[in-house]
Amino acid sequence: MNKPAENIAVSSEDVPLITGGQTFSSITEKIVGIIEQKTPKTWYLAIGASLSLLMVLMGSVGFLVWEGTGIWGLNNPVGWGWAIINFVWWVGIGHAGTLISAILFLLRQKWRTSINRFAEAMTLFAVSCALIFPGIHVGRIWIAYYMFPIPNQMDIWPNFRSPLLWDVFAVGTYFAVSFLFWYTGLIPDLGTLRDRAQTRIKKIIFGILAIGWRGGNRQWRHYERAYLILAGISTPLVLSVHSVVSTDFAVSILPGWHTTIFPPYFVAGAIFSGFAMVMTLSIIARKIFNLDHLITLNHLEKINKIMLLTGMMVGYAYSIEFFIAWYSGNIYEQFVFINRAFGNYAWAYWIMISCNVVVPQLFWFKKLRRSIPIMFIASILINIGMWFERFVIVVTSLSRDFLPANWDYFSPTMWDILTFVGSFGLFFTLFLLFIRVLPMISMTEVKGVLPEADPHHSTGESHE
Amino acid sequence: MKFDSQTYRLTDKGRFGSITLIVGIIGLILSCVGWFTDSQQFYFSYLTAFVFWLTIALGGLFFVLLHHLVGAKWSIVIRRFGESIMMVIPLMAILFIPLLFGLHELYLWMNSEVVASDHLLQGKSGYLNLNFFVVRAVLYFVIWTVLAFLLNKYSLQQNQNPSPEQIKKFRIISAPGMILFAVTLTFASFDWLMSLDAHWFSTIFGVYIFSGSFLSLLCVVTLVVIRLQSNGVLKEAITKEHYHDLGKLMFAFIIFWGYMAFSQYFLIWYGNIPEETIWFLHRWEGSWKSVSMLIVYGHFVIPFFVLFPQVTKRNKAVMTVMSIWILVMHWVDIYWLVMPTLHHHGYHLSWIDLATFIGIGGLFLHLFWRIFTAHPLVPVGDPNLEQSIKIVS
Repeated sequence: MNKPAENIAVSSEDVPLITGGQTFSSITEKIVGIIEQKTPKTWYLAIGASLSLLMVLMGSVGFLVWEGTGIWGLNNPVGWGWAIINFVWWVGIGHAGTLISAILFLLRQKWRTSINRFAEAMTLFAVSCALIFPGIHVGRIWIAYYMFPIPNQMDIWPNFRSPLLWDVFAVGTYFAVSFLFWYTGLIPDLGTLRDRAQTRIKKIIFGILAIGWRGGNRQWRHYERAYLILAGISTPLVLSVHSVVSTDFAVSILPGWHTTIFPPYFVAGAIFSGFAMVMTLSIIARKIFNLDHLITLNHLEKINKIMLLTGMMVGYAYSIEFFIAWYSGNIYEQFVFINRAFGNYAWAYWIMISCNVVVPQLFWFKKLRRSIPIMFIASILINIGMWFERFVIVVTSLSRDFLPANWDYFSPTMWDILTFVGSFGLFFTLFLLFIRVLPMISMTEVKGVLPEADPHHSTGESHE
Repeated sequence: MKFDSQTYRLTDKGRFGSITLIVGIIGLILSCVGWFTDSQQFYFSYLTAFVFWLTIALGGLFFVLLHHLVGAKWSIVIRRFGESIMMVIPLMAILFIPLLFGLHELYLWMNSEVVASDHLLQGKSGYLNLNFFVVRAVLYFVIWTVLAFLLNKYSLQQNQNPSPEQIKKFRIISAPGMILFAVTLTFASFDWLMSLDAHWFSTIFGVYIFSGSFLSLLCVVTLVVIRLQSNGVLKEAITKEHYHDLGKLMFAFIIFWGYMAFSQYFLIWYGNIPEETIWFLHRWEGSWKSVSMLIVYGHFVIPFFVLFPQVTKRNKAVMTVMSIWILVMHWVDIYWLVMPTLHHHGYHLSWIDLATFIGIGGLFLHLFWRIFTAHPLVPVGDPNLEQSIKIVS
């Protein structure tokens, strides 16, 4: 065989994923240490702030139930306001978690191991936030169970041809499968927590949760098979959930909503915003808990590359939509797009373009891709941009429909804003509880990518 | 066929090159006869065959761009296949020229009387006009050719000079190359296929063509690998693990194609706007209905279930049959996109379809084989080559 030039240190992928000379035990100490140490004061501060926001959410939802959807800024053409925007935005954020845990697993992307656990947790919490909005948007939420096809004496069924019903199934399935996947991945780590537990109560709780994990050979084989199968089941969900969400719009005949590229375009946007949220959270987490050796700059750089890619995918969709609107020769279609870019919502359109298409272009440069402040700000801007993308889609198309007599301008009320802001309270409360009681990084999987976990690992001497 | 496993070169290239050349020339001569007997049928058949082979060549370009962009290692041993396939693009540029003479027969919007009496087409004439059409076509081929040439050049340099800088060079081309590829493929598919029915439009169309393009490339690579190995070539370098990976990608792109096809169909069906549904209605008329159903089952359902289990992806016989099957389906798909414009009431297979197919295909495969066998069959200078050989999927 030709000598394939052994002495050359090749591309950046070959640098170790985990730095700082970590061993199996140092990883356990580091990650479990976060849970076992005394609760830090900053955590109390953070959970205090989150709980306050959660109260805001409960207050605004409570008032909504009392008073009705009239408290929102909805008007005659714009029947879908912030609630649907928030729903799509939160569901979208969840997608990165599933992509990281399922698709990157199938693609043998080992760098996912440092971020998959909390990204999956983020998925669950984001989907929880999302589910609130369609639930309360029905107005009379005490009959929200009508969304489910429950047999009843009046023979009333939901409309199976309605994408809103598909949403119930799609998002419900998504939550259930994501939860199972997340929990399956947790089992070996729960075993570790049980074995290290100092108090009896903890031992019992973690013991129940670990469902008899002993770490034997056969258990590992079953575990890995189950994980692979769940990854396979989750993978279509990454595509299907947001595709179904996109049909909420695309099956209608409203200009700006009815276009065939919507399903993949929504999926790309979802992954884009989800990775931005993963980025925001991981920068904060690695700062607070000193996880620099586990979530390294290389991990963050890879996330930035994905954001650059998915950012350009949504840019592609924006451009093709615009071009085809012109090419179609349909005056309504043309009007909607010109109105988006230059009409009374132009400010929202250009926020969307700058945040989603222009900002990710920074990541062409390695220096910026590896600069924490830049990526932190960019990740937040991208999520702002992705919120505005949904705003542009929902509001501009509705507020200027076929009949000019119907046209109206949508402005949110205080309650729109408070409900949205409050949903962050729910998200962060759940997230903070999660990092306090469960290992936020998968110990098992991170250990699996250490060089000594490789059965072909040699201790330095060459094979030849 | 004789293979030197030290240098990865073919010392005896076999007769594949000469056979494909002869078949290609015969095919093209027959196509000329076809042109004399029925020029309109000829142009539509030629377009179908041209697009079929071009999408494979573009799939090769995408494969190489993607390979470098993500720093893939498993695919290093098959990188030369992709590179040699994309190097056929300049030939496709030459083979595009005959189409230029048939534009009036192919595209309704090329006729000024039709446009004069059609309000919608007048609105599109800023984009759909002869000059701009030709300028765009030239631009697409220039971009594809330049990308293919540069990537291939660096690859051959890497054989001599296996340094990390070489990998950097690939990347510098691949990132902007990917963007150019996405834009050009999209607009080429709008120009050459979507504008056959110039009233119709679909934003997903470019992605749909792309999905079929990469899928058929994977099938071609799989077939060539299996054929070579049955002749004792690259037997150690390419293992079952690589088949498995190719099969997984094939499976993924079967689903991706199905996803695109379904998105396009479903949203148009549900919206039920006459200006959009008419396109599918044309493909539901007469015997076209059976072709449409064949595509649903043949291009998605059957390959989906066959490629689902692990064992089939690691089985050479199944992979051979499936690759051929999917390639046939890809041709049916292109046929189904192009031909309803000519034959409104049902499909009408012509011998010219076959002649143009083997004519272009023969030259395509001949050139591919010449480029492929002129150099070591794997990138011997790639520092990760050994890792790629040892990969476990």
